[in-house]
Amino acid sequence: VTRIGIIGLVLSATAVVAGSPQSQEHTAMTTVRVRYMVKEIEPAIEFYTKFLGFQLKQQNKPYFAMVSHGNLELVLSTPFGPGGAAKPMPDGRTPEAGSGWNRIIINVDDLQAEVARFRKAHLHFRNDIVSGPGGSEILLEDPSGNPIELFQPSK
Amino acid sequence: MATVQVRYIVNDVDAAIAFYDRHLGFKTVMHPAPAFAMLSRGDLRLVLSAPNPAAGGGQAMPDGTQQTPGGWNRFAIEVDDLASTVERLRDAGVHFRNEIVTGVGGKQVIVNDPSGNPVELFQPILSEARLDSKP
Repeated sequence: VTRIGIIGLVLSATAVVAGSPQSQEHTAMTTVRVRYMVKEIEPAIEFYTKFLGFQLKQQNKPYFAMVSHGNLELVLSTPFGPGGAAKPMPDGRTPEAGSGWNRIIINVDDLQAEVARFRKAHLHFRNDIVSGPGGSEILLEDPSGNPIELFQPSK
Repeated sequence: MATVQVRYIVNDVDAAIAFYDRHLGFKTVMHPAPAFAMLSRGDLRLVLSAPNPAAGGGQAMPDGTQQTPGGWNRFAIEVDDLASTVERLRDAGVHFRNEIVTGVGGKQVIVNDPSGNPVELFQPILSEARLDSKP
């Protein structure tokens, strides 16, 4: 099983401060919520749980589900249905699934291996692996075409 | 330490830093290059990248497609009193995509950052919709 963690960039050398158990308790993780618009709930749940290690926390099919990974809570909403996220804007714009470039970043230990695994499963990428000063990354798409950045920090 | 990372594409990194700092309580972790910054708020690390034809997180796709701000995917910030938060931000000249809407789990509104990226502010109604609610 390949370990996929949603973790911060490796800045821990400066972030680690020795402290009593009490002070460590104060640094307990808090939940961060991100909402993705998806065309269909069921394939999205399957994608995030099967391929990216998320756990299903709540669902109200066919409009809404919440999946989590670590302290990331990813809300999956359809652009239709009773939810607040489905309501059109006052100027007539309607929420759209799969649009845009903003994304969650998932850190991986071995990007090439993950990409090979996902390609074998016929998942779709927007690009090929690109490398920068901080590490290597690629944009994976969920079944609705939403981007997920897989990132391998430089050693 | 921030443990969840989200990347937003912004046209002007400095304007984005000022916005997230002034209005939404983010701190700048690093801003090592004009086209890149990392901010944090609690356990959220917000990575800001400007569209860039050649390099970095804002790099264009192999077919030449540029990354752009916008879309509908967003992170959400929980607030205790959405109406007063909206009033404060409107007074400060912040742009909203919509008015407060009430859904199943709570009330929400979408703020636009200076590049037009959405940020959701929400106030839970159902206790299960609250962040860090205990089952």
